[in-house]
Amino acid sequence: MANQTKKKSGKGDSFSYMLMLLPAVLMLAVCSIYPFLWILRYVCYNYNGFTATYTGLANFKRMFSDSLFWHSVGITFEYAVLKLIFIIPLALVIAVLLNLKMKGSAVFRGIYFMPTVISTSIAGMIFAFIFATQNGIANAALQALHLIKSPIPWLNSTDFVMAAVTILAVWGGLGNYMLYFITGMNGISTDVYESAKIDGANAFQTFFFVTLPMLAPVLKVVLMLAITSAFKDYEAIMVLSKGGPGNRSMVMFLYIYNLIFGGTNTSVTQAQIGYGALLSVMAAIIVGLVTVVYMFVSKKLDHITD
Amino acid sequence: MKKMKRFTCAAVAAAMVMSLAACSGGGDSGSGTATTAAAGGDAKQETEAKKDGEATQEAAPSGDKTVVEVWTGDRHDMEYVQSMVDKYNAENTDNIEIKLTIITEDYANMLALAYSGGTAPDIVGNSNDVTLNLFADTGILAPLNDFIAQDEEYQKVNEPYEHMFEGLNAKDGNIYWVYSAMRSGVRVEYNKNLLEQNGYKEIPKTLDEYIAMAQKITESGGGQYYGIGFTSSSPFERLLEMSAQMSGVFYYDYVNGKYDFSGYKPFLEKGQELVKVAYPDQQGVDNMRALFAQGSFALWSNASQEAGVFTDQIPVTDFEWGVGEVPTLDGEIKGALLTTPSKGYSIVSSSEHKDEAWKVISYFQSEEFIKGYLENGYALPITSYMDGVIDKSKIGRLADFSLVEYESVYPTPPAVNLQGDDYRTTLWNAVMGYVGIDEAIEDLNTRYNSALDADVASGTVKRLIIKDYDPLHPSAGTATYETK
Repeated sequence: MANQTKKKSGKGDSFSYMLMLLPAVLMLAVCSIYPFLWILRYVCYNYNGFTATYTGLANFKRMFSDSLFWHSVGITFEYAVLKLIFIIPLALVIAVLLNLKMKGSAVFRGIYFMPTVISTSIAGMIFAFIFATQNGIANAALQALHLIKSPIPWLNSTDFVMAAVTILAVWGGLGNYMLYFITGMNGISTDVYESAKIDGANAFQTFFFVTLPMLAPVLKVVLMLAITSAFKDYEAIMVLSKGGPGNRSMVMFLYIYNLIFGGTNTSVTQAQIGYGALLSVMAAIIVGLVTVVYMFVSKKLDHITD
Repeated sequence: MKKMKRFTCAAVAAAMVMSLAACSGGGDSGSGTATTAAAGGDAKQETEAKKDGEATQEAAPSGDKTVVEVWTGDRHDMEYVQSMVDKYNAENTDNIEIKLTIITEDYANMLALAYSGGTAPDIVGNSNDVTLNLFADTGILAPLNDFIAQDEEYQKVNEPYEHMFEGLNAKDGNIYWVYSAMRSGVRVEYNKNLLEQNGYKEIPKTLDEYIAMAQKITESGGGQYYGIGFTSSSPFERLLEMSAQMSGVFYYDYVNGKYDFSGYKPFLEKGQELVKVAYPDQQGVDNMRALFAQGSFALWSNASQEAGVFTDQIPVTDFEWGVGEVPTLDGEIKGALLTTPSKGYSIVSSSEHKDEAWKVISYFQSEEFIKGYLENGYALPITSYMDGVIDKSKIGRLADFSLVEYESVYPTPPAVNLQGDDYRTTLWNAVMGYVGIDEAIEDLNTRYNSALDADVASGTVKRLIIKDYDPLHPSAGTATYETK
């Protein structure tokens, strides 16, 4: 009898849960899944927003021979790696320093977080001025410090543009990841630190043997967020370098954006929504694969650390 | 207690679902939701504007006024156009009321949305993104031939048959709009002081001399000022492409109906020499204009909009600036320079007031309306009739950009589904040395022609052929469209 009541109550609960989940599921279906399925319709069409012409598998064939798309995929990986190897350690170090609760920590926390609330396109415009070859702030500072003799053509040279793009990405995202780490560190019990202190651990030992292992679950999530967002970044690059010079900073989502919204369309080219839709699906698969690989690797690492 | 808890949970969930439904319902009825604000939000406002318009029509004091809705993408001339609309609404004896709506964002998409939703206006002002392949081929715009044929005054002022540009405002003999103004082709704007300091008084005729001049000024500037400046926004279009056009080189071979970029080679080589001595940054257009205005470089090139820019928007106050013609390869003019015609109006095929709409277009393109428009310095005259009518002393520096005899409009080549960068980007990449010149030209010839062949085969476009094409008079030939 008691069992039956439990079963009944379980059913009732799951009904309530389902009902409560319904709004979110509906929103997801309408705003995310439906548009995705809608765009899938056009992968076999030439579609300019007005007329659609069926072209069979032509878009698929084209995708595999589209060297600029695969070039943009390569650039996306380069950008993601560059961004991650700088932003994660830097955010972690700053979070640790700010977590020492020194005087003025709150002010610095605010300052580091500020770029996160600035519009990406405005940031791109500001950095275009900073990276100007002539009269740019970056070159002026480097020259004043005698680090360079002649101005660096940050945005006009294929050798330097990725450095400029990475600096902007790190500046823009640092505060966000820093905040995640600070929140994670706040969750670590002070008892653990006190024990470490009693055991005579110095600051480095405390960081590597207490803070970092205790922060591992947060780090795992932050890394996953950082990886997926790095692969999807394009707005700031669009404003700062437009994917140039010579497509040196053309990431895949910027390439797709240009195809669909006509960033480079002239009177003799047109919006290619069908082909862009196919590339969007491919880009989603690429980001998905990277995430799966990361999840797999991080799971393996969990077993090792266990 | 448990039952109570379950009931509360269910009630809260139901309330949330209902509130969601209510939200979407509310969106339909007008207040708008966040998801529709970006793309559809404006469309909704327009829909409501239309509804308001209909309401105005029904509730108009006279009771029988016909409301003609006009959409335009031009904001810069709003003050003049609105004042003339007000005047018409107050004085016209045809019981017509013009309702003018200015849409500057996403104009073409808004129009397409409104058309498919049954809320399109009666008249649309032409805009660069309202193209014939999108709006006429799909039947959204109606041909104006019959109206034009019956209106002699309109023909006198607007010279519609002389300004039929294949693929641009006319196709297969149908005229969809007639231009009443234009922006000049590209000119060289120069810093007279810097030129004089270096022993020059005017812009030379050949590209080689032009490059030598830029080099000399850059050398004498010693890093303080430079000979020439290029923008990051379509730089190829603003000098080298136009120089090529005037030298008889164009990217579409009209006679054989295919793309051909081989003629650009010498211009890319000259471009490489120019870039070496140019201002080191290529920034947005306004930034480069500001740098020109503060004397950072001597040579800039752009069309007649610079007249207003350098007098009002970013005024040049520290030196005198002049306007010269773009140099050509050997100093001779062998091809037409591209101009940008403007201020044309079309009737939307779904309009229920086509006759009234034509009356409004006749007013917008009447001598009185255009004269005021041109004398206010908004644009240059496109017809020889209006050129003779306006008082040129009133148009300020725009007079320096007056139409020259070799300026014209090119028939629009087929719009293809191109793979990779467009020709302007690729050719500028070659100028900057990111890709080899021969490699860039071969790549463009292959990509554009493959796309054209594929699109013609799939029926997306037709191949444009003009057997009697004349580069000095590109719009004078007879256009044919082929499906092979």
